Amino acid sequence: MAIGTARVATTPYRPGLRDRLGEWLDRETILGPAFVTPALLLLVFLVAYPFVMAIYLSLSNAFIGRPSHLIGLRNFINLWQSDAFRQTFQNAFVFTGFAVAIKVVLGIWLALLLNEQLWFKRLIRGAVLLPWVIPTALSTLGWWWMFNSLYSVVNWTGIHMGLLDPPGPNWLGQKYYAMAAVVAVNVWRGLPFFAITILAGLVAIPKELYEAAHTDGAGPVARFWYVTLPLLSPVLAIVVLFSTIFTFSDFNIVFVLTHGGPINSTHLFATLARQVGLETGRLGEGAAISLYLFPVLVMVVYAQLRFVRNRAY
Amino acid sequence: MDAINRRRFLTTTAGLAGILAAGVPPARGQQREISYLCWNNFAPASDKKLAEIGPRFTKDTGIKIRIDHIAAPQQAAKYASEVQTQAGHDIVEMRMHFPWLYEPQLLDLSDLVAEMEKKYGKVVSSATEAAKVKGVWRAVPQYHAYFAPAYREDIFKKAGLKIPDTWDDLYTVGKELKKMGNPVGIPISQNYDSISTAGPVLWSFGGMEVDKDGKTVKINSSAAAQMVEWYRKMYKDCMEPEVLSWTDSSNNESLQQGKAGWIHNPVSAYIVARNMKLPTADTINHHRSLAGPAGRHETDVPRSIGIWKFSKNVEASKEWIRYLIGKKEVYDEYIMSGDAFNLPVYTNLQDHPVLKTDPKFANLKGEGVQYHIYGWPAPPSDKIQLITNSFILPNMIAKAVTGSSTKEAIAWADNEMKKIVAG
Repeated sequence: MAIGTARVATTPYRPGLRDRLGEWLDRETILGPAFVTPALLLLVFLVAYPFVMAIYLSLSNAFIGRPSHLIGLRNFINLWQSDAFRQTFQNAFVFTGFAVAIKVVLGIWLALLLNEQLWFKRLIRGAVLLPWVIPTALSTLGWWWMFNSLYSVVNWTGIHMGLLDPPGPNWLGQKYYAMAAVVAVNVWRGLPFFAITILAGLVAIPKELYEAAHTDGAGPVARFWYVTLPLLSPVLAIVVLFSTIFTFSDFNIVFVLTHGGPINSTHLFATLARQVGLETGRLGEGAAISLYLFPVLVMVVYAQLRFVRNRAY
Repeated sequence: MDAINRRRFLTTTAGLAGILAAGVPPARGQQREISYLCWNNFAPASDKKLAEIGPRFTKDTGIKIRIDHIAAPQQAAKYASEVQTQAGHDIVEMRMHFPWLYEPQLLDLSDLVAEMEKKYGKVVSSATEAAKVKGVWRAVPQYHAYFAPAYREDIFKKAGLKIPDTWDDLYTVGKELKKMGNPVGIPISQNYDSISTAGPVLWSFGGMEVDKDGKTVKINSSAAAQMVEWYRKMYKDCMEPEVLSWTDSSNNESLQQGKAGWIHNPVSAYIVARNMKLPTADTINHHRSLAGPAGRHETDVPRSIGIWKFSKNVEASKEWIRYLIGKKEVYDEYIMSGDAFNLPVYTNLQDHPVLKTDPKFANLKGEGVQYHIYGWPAPPSDKIQLITNSFILPNMIAKAVTGSSTKEAIAWADNEMKKIVAG
């Protein structure tokens, strides 16, 4: 009997498509980009493309439906010669400065209140979010009615409580009152964002620190000043950063409440850009108005993010 | 499903390649379907009527039509996006100066306007200023809503006040009205109704913002100074400071709620009061437009219909305009539905039956009144529109009535206008 090697016919193993795909995705060099690509595409198409387009438009004499060409910084230079634009520039800083400052103070105060043991705590926390949840255009219409010269509930209440002399302030017709009105509505709308975010920061502060401070004899003010505020500062910096950007670019409140008046005293960049870019067709100038503050905001973002990083590490 | 054989595959792909290369669908595939974008009419019955006319048009012509509506404040943004993307509706409703704004994107419709003029007479002056761009009709005038004085007839009768005939007469009666607690209501704020009164007052005193060459700013004139002085005394003696914050609807509301004794507005203030059965409805009436040393001028909101150049259904779109405006019975039916808010813009139709549907419309006739669009006599180029949209005229008046001297206020407006015209 001859002894030899038996040759077994074997077919090389070929994994199925599913297995191959699985194996392929196991590689980090493939999986990483695969996860990132959708987000990247979204960023490119929804952020980068419109942004680059806006820069192009701001540097051109673009007009709706007409051929355009690049004109350098002429739009930015010409805008500065317009009284309405200079007024808008000033309004934007006044509006943002007051609104953000008031929101910070009231936001911390509200967050401290919400952090206390209250009855119906969850209900109250939910209710606080309402101004943030309601569509701005709709809620601002309510405010418009309250400030309306003919039907003003604010004036009616003030007069009946003996706080105001009839007929009461002309809220939307005088520049300081009008600015106060748009700031008030912005604060009302933005306060929940501050309060809830700061509340999240408050909850994260270890109780032991307060106990230790209390043991050391620190009163409520000292505890707030030396424990709460320093530990809240990274959260505050982020909230202020976002709010500054949102407030600078606010549109709905001014558009519904004052349309930029009286005598341009409440115009913001977004409302003026709409007036020039869309209603008048001057897309280039409109884009330049929108982008005027971009360098300033970039610096604000850089400074605040740097501050946060330094605090974090 | 039939199996696809090689021959059929080749035929289909070759045909498809041909269509793609030519960019024109085969005749069999061309749909006679058009789309029309127009505003949410302030007279809602007109939109309902349009929804009735659309299917009748389809039945009569075999052309399908889709009618979409959009709120007036969103029109500019929507049109801009359609123009930028070269896609959207075939036919668009144009408000006032829109044909100038979108001129390069609109078809020449002079042939259609010639047909309408042959039938109904010349287009009225303001609608011509709006839709005829540099000698070419870029849209077909459809209707207009014009400004007219509306007043509380009961208060006038009670106080024995004479119906004003001039802007100066209005000051005389306005003083009495304010004393009675029913002030004159003319907005001086950043809205279009403010311009709709400031323009006619300026023109009636013989002034203008920019000359008809569209380049020479003429606001710094004695006529403009007279106009500012007129506003100053009106604000002080006949009106209340609330007019500085008014929106386009505030003067209507003030009259309807029984406060204002006199306003300058389209007939909508009365129509809404009547339709809502407000107690003031019966007390409101209209009178002839006011005159000044330089005549009787008014402004209005002419609307027209244009066709985008990118439309692939030009002939069918023209058919719709011929049907809606050119067919007398359809046009009449549409105008009647607007309850005197949307009035014809052709000279032979000025004494339209709609003005006889309510005795309160009797004084809306515009004999001897010259209608102009904002910025007249300058053509509504983008620069003139920027002057309008920047509310320079009402802001000039607001400055004067809140503390600036007439000279300062006019110098400010002159400077702002000159920068826009030069830019």
